[in-house]
Amino acid sequence: MKVLVTGASSLLGRTVADLLVARGDEVTCFQRSPSGSTASDHLGDITDRAALLAAAEGHEAVIHLAALVVPRAPWSQMQAINIDGTRNARSAAERCGRFIHISSPSVAFHDDASVGEAARPPSYTGDDGYTRSKALAEQVVLAGPRVPTVVIRPHLVWGPGDTQLIGRIVDRARAGRLVLPDHGAALIDTTYADDAAAAIVAALDVCAPGSEALGRAWVVSGGEPRPLCDLVGSILLAAGVTAHPRSVPAPVAAIAGRIIGRLWPGDEPPLTHFAARQLSVAHWFDQRETRRVLGWSPEVGLDEGFRRLARWFDASR
Amino acid sequence: MPRRRTGSTDRPAASDWERWGIDPTWHRRVEITTDAGTVGWSVLDTGPGPAGTIVCVHGNPTWGYLWRDLLRASTAGWRVVAVDQTGMGWSDRPGPRTLAQRVAELVAFCEAEVPGPLVLAAHDWGGPVAIGAAGSLDVRAVVLTNTAVAKPGSVGVPPLIAVARSAIDLTCARTPLFVRGTARMTDVRHREALNAPYRSAARRAAVADFVADIPVVPGDRSFAALERSAANFGALDSRGIPVLLLWGGRDPVFHDRFLADLLDRAPHADVHRFVDAGHLVALDEPIGNIIIDWLDDRLGRGSTTEIASDRSELEDPTSSDASTMSDATDDSFSPITTALAERADDPSCAYQGPDGARSWSALDTAAGRIAHRLVSAGVKPGDRIAMLVPPGVAMLEAVYGAWRAGAAVVIADSALGAAGLRSAFRGATPAWMIGTPRTLLAARALRLAPGARAFSMGRTPGAIDLSAPAAHSTLLPELAPQDLAAVVHTSGATGAAKPVRYTHAALAAQRDVVRRAFTPDPTHGFISSFAPFILLGPALGVPCVLPEGDVLAPAELDFDRFADACRSSDSDIAWLSPASARTIVRTANGRSVSLRLVMLAGAPIPTELAEALQRITGAEVRAPYGMTEAMPVTDGVGATVRVPVGTDTGRPLPGAEILIVPFRSPGADPVADGIWGEILVSCPWMRAGYDRRWSIEESSTIHRDGRILHRTGDVGMFDTLGHLIQLGRLQHVITTAEGALPCAVIEQPITDQLDSEVAAVGVGPDGAQVIVIVLAAEGPLRPADHGTTAAVRAASAHPIAAVLTGELPVDIRHQSKIRRDLLAKGASTLLAGR
Repeated sequence: MKVLVTGASSLLGRTVADLLVARGDEVTCFQRSPSGSTASDHLGDITDRAALLAAAEGHEAVIHLAALVVPRAPWSQMQAINIDGTRNARSAAERCGRFIHISSPSVAFHDDASVGEAARPPSYTGDDGYTRSKALAEQVVLAGPRVPTVVIRPHLVWGPGDTQLIGRIVDRARAGRLVLPDHGAALIDTTYADDAAAAIVAALDVCAPGSEALGRAWVVSGGEPRPLCDLVGSILLAAGVTAHPRSVPAPVAAIAGRIIGRLWPGDEPPLTHFAARQLSVAHWFDQRETRRVLGWSPEVGLDEGFRRLARWFDASR
Repeated sequence: MPRRRTGSTDRPAASDWERWGIDPTWHRRVEITTDAGTVGWSVLDTGPGPAGTIVCVHGNPTWGYLWRDLLRASTAGWRVVAVDQTGMGWSDRPGPRTLAQRVAELVAFCEAEVPGPLVLAAHDWGGPVAIGAAGSLDVRAVVLTNTAVAKPGSVGVPPLIAVARSAIDLTCARTPLFVRGTARMTDVRHREALNAPYRSAARRAAVADFVADIPVVPGDRSFAALERSAANFGALDSRGIPVLLLWGGRDPVFHDRFLADLLDRAPHADVHRFVDAGHLVALDEPIGNIIIDWLDDRLGRGSTTEIASDRSELEDPTSSDASTMSDATDDSFSPITTALAERADDPSCAYQGPDGARSWSALDTAAGRIAHRLVSAGVKPGDRIAMLVPPGVAMLEAVYGAWRAGAAVVIADSALGAAGLRSAFRGATPAWMIGTPRTLLAARALRLAPGARAFSMGRTPGAIDLSAPAAHSTLLPELAPQDLAAVVHTSGATGAAKPVRYTHAALAAQRDVVRRAFTPDPTHGFISSFAPFILLGPALGVPCVLPEGDVLAPAELDFDRFADACRSSDSDIAWLSPASARTIVRTANGRSVSLRLVMLAGAPIPTELAEALQRITGAEVRAPYGMTEAMPVTDGVGATVRVPVGTDTGRPLPGAEILIVPFRSPGADPVADGIWGEILVSCPWMRAGYDRRWSIEESSTIHRDGRILHRTGDVGMFDTLGHLIQLGRLQHVITTAEGALPCAVIEQPITDQLDSEVAAVGVGPDGAQVIVIVLAAEGPLRPADHGTTAAVRAASAHPIAAVLTGELPVDIRHQSKIRRDLLAKGASTLLAGR
């Protein structure tokens, strides 16, 4: 199959492109800078509708991962990249025939714990600009799609080379600034990058008329929730960091997040209220429906993932 | 939410109905014409249902909303019609109605709107109305919730009614006191709907009229109508019309003695008593599905048009029990009181304990004296007597005396605490109680059994003295196999205490199986750390011994006291609870005491404990499987056998049948050996049923090929030797996305490798749970350190989401069953974050 992947310079996008190439699909990656994947690149900006449509010419499917992932960029930028960019990707997909849109489970976050739930509606309307824009983008995608469309919400994707989650945790721990709410007791599900990529490829394969998967959002996770402290401990062990995170009461973290989030001058405050809440309450998901409908289940998993992470840290030292 | 005042109009808006959880399309108006005139009724009608029609009649001062749960459950094929009586709810307010007029109106409504057979459901003063109407209608079944058809002789006018009556106009009409007070008896979410039709004094007029119409003395206007209802009710029962009583145990208006009165009039009625529900039980509990299940069970699914074929079952309330007792024929029946009478002339010791000793002849004499005293005081065969006597001489004398008098004893463990005891004894509505001066005082203070006449084992003011010789000899009744012998409350170790009914046939069979399987020697004694077990002594004709010390604190029985008791009584069998067994092992310090047999019961027994007891006593150690409902079920020979997982409880005892059936499919075919599943048991010494817990009895009774099996709530399997391996409680099975796992299967490898006490609990929704391991440690529940977590994961054969450390709570009674329910709750809360 000829597939266009947007946003392939991210860990997940690159892994998806590589996985498709490895199984023999023809893949074009569309983003502003080289993806570093084994697929061919078509450089361009997701906000440039004409460029995207041109890049998509002759493809049979669009997998849309491109997004601005910062908590607090100007809303106009969020709108342009995450919402209008998604409209562009949808238009491109309508000419190709299949659309896989990558969203996030946080679009349904409501400040409370998600304990073994299935996907909830994308109704987030809080302060976090990224999440709000992704919620609106998902609504755009699922409002009367004209071609077979599946939305995948991978939950907390990590793996070797990840600068988002792993990078920040390790950097802060090294600097002695890693703090977890309530000793990191909240049970949180994560997804190893290769497993998330395999789920997206599985979604691509079932994205055809008649599939139960169509027109809905599916949370994808490793299905191995663990307490946050446990996950952080495993990551730090893999990175060879001996520092222990400190603990603050969850309500204190929330207030601190609120204050820092307001006062911090840049796009990426070290803590926001949203981030504090996300780390304070459980979020893990009932994966039975997802796995049945996508015909997929994670093959790497957490423990093997942490071993691979350790090897990567060793090699990059 | 803004405060809404729907009472200013005479009918709710569609949005009101929706907010109250009532489908607005159910609501319609009907005109009823009787001698009292024509009146418009408001009814909630779910529309045609192939299974039949249930007509629901509310009391005062509620309305059709009361039946919300049943209305909402009616999708199961039943048409549910909840009427608002004249002057009540959203019906017209033409003026006062007498009980007879209300009955006539209900008959007129049913004749016009529900032609053919129907089911009646009623609450409160809707009860006399519905039952009054039943005489003129083709009624196929009746469901009553907290109501009365007569005032029991022993009870005064319900205090709330009395207060309301003494100032009717003020409490009921001019102020909303009575309406609001009633609405406050249930959850706050029902309050708005309950109050809505009664917002103004004018709209409350019928509430006052209804109270004024309650007949109290024969001269009252509606007295005759109420007597007709009472007569109708008894007639329904004797005609074999099924009756279900759904009872809130915390109703200050229609309390348990009204339940007892209804049961006197309808002895065949099924009862489910909700311990924690109040007057508005219909709103407090999920009665809808229970009623539908009961109707399907009693009437056969999908027919009020045809009475179920097997009505003969209703002729004899105990016939369903009889099938389990098929081998106990009247000819061979030897009641539990036989052995004691046989040793009546024996001066040797029958009981020895902290409260003294008794010879067989003294015990027989005392039991006989008590029996005569009871009978001459008016105790009739089948009467229930609450036993408030401490374990020891008093208990043996009182229980055997009560049995000889033909009475059924009601037994509850003091470990239930004051609230648990009150609930247990009140719910059983004993007509009598036997206590000591001390316990009777406590019973009065705690109002354990209001209305029960008291007998005292000593002198207590206001109680009949059982220690005095009987004035004259009375004729004692012959005990029959199917007579109710006891209502025993479970320990509540693994949930709410449940009242278990035992017949004399079951007790006799239990005695016989113990005699056959464990061959106690009448010349030696048996010592028990579990006090109630001494009741087996006089039954077996074997001396029984309680060791020195607090009989209610088995965990305090140490080796010294245990060895003293064994030697001084020349006992060769010990029956120990796990807690005392542990203490004895811990305090033995290399010493030993010789016994022939040690029995362990009360909780699954670790092999190490059984082995240690074997070393100390040189005895054969057995840990039979059993429960309050059926004890014992296996021979317990596997106690010292090490099995890969779970507890080996030995082979089924002769006469006992054990089936392993698929998890949550107890009606399915048994699974193969080596496969785990739910444990079902059947034996002649099994419980007859649960007392006044229809729904629990229904869900824990499996009918198969004409036999009745008890669903134990345990999971286990048979191994290749035919031994029953116990794997824990059904409710502790963890249901992961990959499948269901008994906790023992998860725990055992971790316990073995880490040499630490652990508990596995499930966190998350049923079917998608993840496994959490808790390691025993001091302090509150918290995540374990990274090394421990890794070690547990390495030892486990299943994915572990989280490893926590903390205290493992145990049950009060045996102090050995880990309260995994509490642990799971704690773990869920911790891991959900905040």
